[in-house]
Amino acid sequence: MNLEAVLIGAIVGVAAGWLLRRWLAAARRRKEGGCAGDCGCAAKIQPKK
Amino acid sequence: MSAAEPGLTVALVGNPNTGKSTLFNALTGLRQRVGNYPGVTVARKSGQCDCGEGTKVELVDLPGLYSLSASSPDEQVVIDALSGHLADDRRPDAVVVVIDATNLLRNLFLASQLSELGLPVVLVLNQADVAAEQGVKINADLLSRRLGGVPVVLTSAWKGEGIAAVRRAIGEALRSRVRMPAVEWPALVEEALADVAAGVAADIGRAPGRADVERLLFDSTTSVGQRLGWEAPRREAVIRAARDKVRRAGYNPLAAEPLIHYERLRKLLEGVVQGGGNRTGGSAAVDQVLLHRVFGPIVFAGIMLGMFAAVFWLAKFPMQWISGGVDWLKAVVAPTLDGLPMLQSLVTDGMIGGVGAFLAFLPQILILFLFVSILEDSGYMARAAFIMDRLFSWCGLNGKSFVPMLSGFACAIPGLLSTRTIEDPKARLATAFAVPFMSCSARFPIYALMCAAFIGPVYGPGWESVVMVGMHCVGLLFAVPTAFVLTRFVLKVKPQPFVLELPRYQMPKPRDVLWRMWQNAAEFVSKAGTVIFAITIIVWALSYFPRDPAVEQRIRATSVGVASAAVDAQVQSAYVEQSWMGRFGKSVQPIFDPCGFDWKITVGVLASFPAREVIVSTLGVTYSVGEGAEADSQHLQQVMRAAKWTEGPRIGTPIFSLAAVLALMVFFALCSQCGPTVATLAQETGGWKWAAISFFYMTTLAWLMAVAVYQVVSRLT
Repeated sequence: MNLEAVLIGAIVGVAAGWLLRRWLAAARRRKEGGCAGDCGCAAKIQPKK
Repeated sequence: MSAAEPGLTVALVGNPNTGKSTLFNALTGLRQRVGNYPGVTVARKSGQCDCGEGTKVELVDLPGLYSLSASSPDEQVVIDALSGHLADDRRPDAVVVVIDATNLLRNLFLASQLSELGLPVVLVLNQADVAAEQGVKINADLLSRRLGGVPVVLTSAWKGEGIAAVRRAIGEALRSRVRMPAVEWPALVEEALADVAAGVAADIGRAPGRADVERLLFDSTTSVGQRLGWEAPRREAVIRAARDKVRRAGYNPLAAEPLIHYERLRKLLEGVVQGGGNRTGGSAAVDQVLLHRVFGPIVFAGIMLGMFAAVFWLAKFPMQWISGGVDWLKAVVAPTLDGLPMLQSLVTDGMIGGVGAFLAFLPQILILFLFVSILEDSGYMARAAFIMDRLFSWCGLNGKSFVPMLSGFACAIPGLLSTRTIEDPKARLATAFAVPFMSCSARFPIYALMCAAFIGPVYGPGWESVVMVGMHCVGLLFAVPTAFVLTRFVLKVKPQPFVLELPRYQMPKPRDVLWRMWQNAAEFVSKAGTVIFAITIIVWALSYFPRDPAVEQRIRATSVGVASAAVDAQVQSAYVEQSWMGRFGKSVQPIFDPCGFDWKITVGVLASFPAREVIVSTLGVTYSVGEGAEADSQHLQQVMRAAKWTEGPRIGTPIFSLAAVLALMVFFALCSQCGPTVATLAQETGGWKWAAISFFYMTTLAWLMAVAVYQVVSRLT
């Protein structure tokens, strides 16, 4: 396998990993009662149990 | 308590549309979203405010409310925040009540109610400049003296006047802890309140707060009893007996509170307010036209048409500059990667081509938000809500649904959050279901691409804006019947009267308009540099690999004597067809064949389910890799115009016929292609059920309508 292929694999891998991490973080934010979008709004709106 | 003590919290409350967020921004230096219509803030926001003399406080901007009787979730947030029932939050140390100086009596009702919370209060009489223009003179010192020394400050937050005085007043209130005198209830009402307090204490073993007791006695429905853990049967008996006492005092128990408060406030304001009476004047004359049953909708349609025509016209040249910049960048970068064909394709076709195709729409987004901000800040959008109320009331929603729908035109997520202003949970659900149909700005690039590539050049530039307005109406056309069926037959929503306080007309503030444009531009560019960039790399890889050299050898062996450029294009096309993306697109394409979509459009449609704006960059990459073209917006349009069916019954005919173009736009107008929206719908409706129903309903409807449009238009043209 040549260096170019390794480089391409690394770039594609980083892109896929970053997208996956971002989606997981959004899911976690939503689960904690925060915003599912990127705007960070609606934080701390859950009433006390 | 020392005023310099860290951790001080001050809450900002008031009636809707009194300028709380504008004041919040002025005090904290933040840029919280503001708007000239009620219901812009639906959640708690906070920032640091320096009140001088070493006093720094956390200032909390809360949604607007008219009274402490919460009827909608956003109002409940305020009451929970003020009483310290929000998770991770304690009770504020002071309250700044923002009051519309042009309507002191009604706005002071909330302040009068808040006096029962026993918190230090600052009264900010905002829009004092407008009150002065109307000839209203307010004696703030006299009002302060009558309220026992509570600081009263006259401000014009949008002009930045009186802000320093508010800072000083907050510091003063925290130091002196002066409270607004509570209302003096008639003896029998006071006795009734004491009975309720005693009933609660006897049953739950602790004394309730005064504000809670008032809600239990005066409100027809309240969640206070449940929150306190006061059992229903016993609670009802105690409250019934207490309300009998209120009746003996000569008051209807459910009307006693406002009557007694207003009686007090009228006395309080004697001599404090002088003049006025010219509240409507010019606004009323303008509203006679803009809110007219016939002229109102015509003016509204005219404004929308004009706005989109201007968006296309003004954005034309900046778009060409961006395309030129993308071309230049490719020309500079490509030679540096000679000898590395894979990397060269990734950087030029994938990264620059995909992101460049998306970024080319930045001027249109900027100009669109320039007009939207001007319309909102001027006060016109609230009038549009009034016009739309007739349509909404027909389908069982009310005018309060307009604000979420309006927000949905920018982005569905704030639109869904805005549904918290709707009191009835069923009406809220129906509105939340309808909001994702609104044509959000993420749909804009695909409409703009199709209009610029196929509608403008063929039918003339005027038709671009007509189609654009039409596409923005498609979502509304389906949202309304959907809401009708949902409210009438599924959820059985009871009709709700719509009360909207029309804001005064005002000249939009350039700083706020520019800030809104900047925010949207930053979000757009940031998305291009992050999500779109990453997805573009994945799409490029899927449409580039596997790359079997035998494909190229076979084509070159059978193309002796054919021009080299034509053979190269044939090779690129064959490679992308046998790539993973090509194989997948071809296997799924039969589903979208009745819509007139070829496998490349199919790939774009499927790649756009997480975020619909991905379609442009995906088309940019697939057409760039497949055709060897430079896929910025302008070149992408040329390549798409030249694309023809290579197999099947439509062989040799253009892929992007008028029927296919309209079907694609209708599909994107109706399909649920936004992961965060689906997640937010689940969040706001308390589970995945309605989010799943919405996703399948919208996607199925989109496919059916795309098929219908393609089949009908292709037979007519």
